[in-house]
Amino acid sequence: MKELTDRVRQTARKLLDGQQVDLVLGWEKGPEPFRSQPVFIREPEEAEQLVFDEFCIHNLSTFLLDYRDGQEKIGIFVKGCDSRGVVRLIEDNQFLRERLYIIGIGCPGMKDPLAAARAASGLNGTEENEGLAAKCRECMYPNPVLYDELIGDEQPPHLEGERFAQVKKLEGMSAEERWQFFSDMFSRCIRCYACRNVCVACNCRRCIFDETRPQWVGRETNLMDNIGYHVIRAMHVAGRCVECGECERVCPVGIPLMLLNRKLIKDVNELFGPYEASLKLEEEASPPLSVYRPDDPDNFL
Amino acid sequence: MKVLVKDKINTALNRLAENSQVYVPVHREGGSRFAPWPTVPGDELALDSLNTMFSPKEVVLPQTEKMYTFAARGQSVEIKETGEERKERVVFGVRACDSKAIAALDEVFLTRGYEDGFYKARREPLIIIGKACTQPGPNCFCSAMGVDPLEPDPVDVIIYDLGDAYGWEPRSERGQKLTQSLGDILADRDFQKPSAGEFQLQVDINGLPEKLAGMFEHPLWEELAEPCMNCGICTYLCPSCYCFDIQVKNRGTEGYRFRCWDSCMYPEYTMMAGGHNPRGSKHERFRNRFLHKLEFFQERYGTSLCTGCGRCIVACPQGINIVSIIKRLQEVELDVR
Ligand code: SF4
Ligand code: SF4
Ligand code: SF4
Ligand code: SF4
Ligand code: SF4
Repeated sequence: MKELTDRVRQTARKLLDGQQVDLVLGWEKGPEPFRSQPVFIREPEEAEQLVFDEFCIHNLSTFLLDYRDGQEKIGIFVKGCDSRGVVRLIEDNQFLRERLYIIGIGCPGMKDPLAAARAASGLNGTEENEGLAAKCRECMYPNPVLYDELIGDEQPPHLEGERFAQVKKLEGMSAEERWQFFSDMFSRCIRCYACRNVCVACNCRRCIFDETRPQWVGRETNLMDNIGYHVIRAMHVAGRCVECGECERVCPVGIPLMLLNRKLIKDVNELFGPYEASLKLEEEASPPLSVYRPDDPDNFL
Repeated sequence: MKVLVKDKINTALNRLAENSQVYVPVHREGGSRFAPWPTVPGDELALDSLNTMFSPKEVVLPQTEKMYTFAARGQSVEIKETGEERKERVVFGVRACDSKAIAALDEVFLTRGYEDGFYKARREPLIIIGKACTQPGPNCFCSAMGVDPLEPDPVDVIIYDLGDAYGWEPRSERGQKLTQSLGDILADRDFQKPSAGEFQLQVDINGLPEKLAGMFEHPLWEELAEPCMNCGICTYLCPSCYCFDIQVKNRGTEGYRFRCWDSCMYPEYTMMAGGHNPRGSKHERFRNRFLHKLEFFQERYGTSLCTGCGRCIVACPQGINIVSIIKRLQEVELDVR
């Protein structure tokens, strides 16, 4: 990884030196060895701050939303999942391809600084520090799907076993069992909306959960309001979720959000597919739930 | 001197639970927290872990709290208060950082000419059994924030971990009474109070509030805020963040009003009726959190609103670290004019 860090620094310096971009999105080291964190640099000298190591798990593409109304050209480092996030934003008309210089890095799989911090904190007793992050163990597309420049080697998919195994288990439950499962899962949500804020597919300027006139979902933390939130969130990213796993990673109470996301990925696949969101940037491409076709299946109505 | 032998903790907690609602730190899937004793299946008493991921503020300021119900009856309206009964309550094992946070909440909700009835109803009958902290964790910096980890305050009793037992020291009249009620469970034994361990995390807040008063427009805020995603996890986990919103739920001719935690990190928090948002940008919201913690609260109440518990450092998904931020702020050289 040391060489990758060097390449990352060289690339950023070159882009900023040559004024090809105004700003570079990458990762830097925090105070603890397991802390890598997003950093935003504007001067060539700052390129020395950048790193690429096994903790650079954050999907930086979501941060592009902060600059969507600006003019600046942005250099962004992307792993496989992040690059699909960038495609997501372009496809959703949230960002112009021309404003981006994308540097792809084949991703060997990351560890989660957040999980490491929790494990080291002593706040949760003896928590397992999980090794390769959950989201990376399930990753099928570690190599960037969109880039101007590629550094590092191509990587094999990290997913072992079957992609939808957990979903199938869920589908196999009786209605009562499933209700119990989801009740347990959603009742612990504290409604911080971190899962929404971190999500690149959650790119609406005005989110339904921030609407107050009318207020579509109640703000109480109880099962019904929480379910309201979760069903809407999941449906709003159905067909557009890029499976980056960030929502589940950042959830402070460990809600397995990817299970619901994957259920919808599977359904979209079966009903409208085969379909894989944001695997390549195509002119005029739209996710299945954003288009109407007379022959759309409707047997679930 | 009294001690509570560890074998007898359950007995002691059971005794307390006879007349009071008792809260203890527990491990639970999704994060350790303070929860009622006796514990429900899935919760496990967690007296040995450093502290809880979720702070004990829930005991005095629950995330959602019903305030009153109303119903239209013809031309009139019937209003019923839903405040809880003022039953004695005991919270067991509160650390110094968290009791300091309760002290801050007391200032906010009980002083300066207005008493918050809902807070008071939970706080007044609350007995706090504090736990002296001898092993600061990797993210603890309470001592830097003026908190003595061995002296939780306010408390009614302090317990000291002695290995096989907890040294038991009443600190208030209510603490004395509680100690008497446990007379047959506590044992007599002399003990030496343990000393505090080393802090790995140090930071100097000398002069910071005064300095921050001149930094409202400083460009550093934009840089510091850039990685923040305004998710509010830091404020929800913080033992001393106390912001709430009041909302209403209607169904036909009936409904209720409730309050629920809110956070200055959210755009909706400052949204005005006419659609204007005085804290419209991410860095303004971010700045507010730090200024409230480190400057505004100090100006109004003479103490910091950050107690150094370190939870936000652990839980921020983007690695935003209040200690690193304080250091950056302290490094800034301001023009003296
Ligand atoms: S829903 Fe989760 S996995 Fe899907 S794009 Fe959003 S953050 Fe990534
Ligand atoms: S991040 Fe977790 S706790 Fe926060 S709103 Fe999402 S599911 Fe709920
Ligand atoms: S937890 Fe971190 S990212 Fe979330 S609002 Fe707080 S500082 Fe920002
Ligand atoms: S700001 Fe952070 S460290 Fe300070 S009291 Fe709140 S959670 Fe603890
Ligand atoms: S930091 Fe923000 S959420 Fe916390 S108490 Fe202050 S204003 Fe409220």
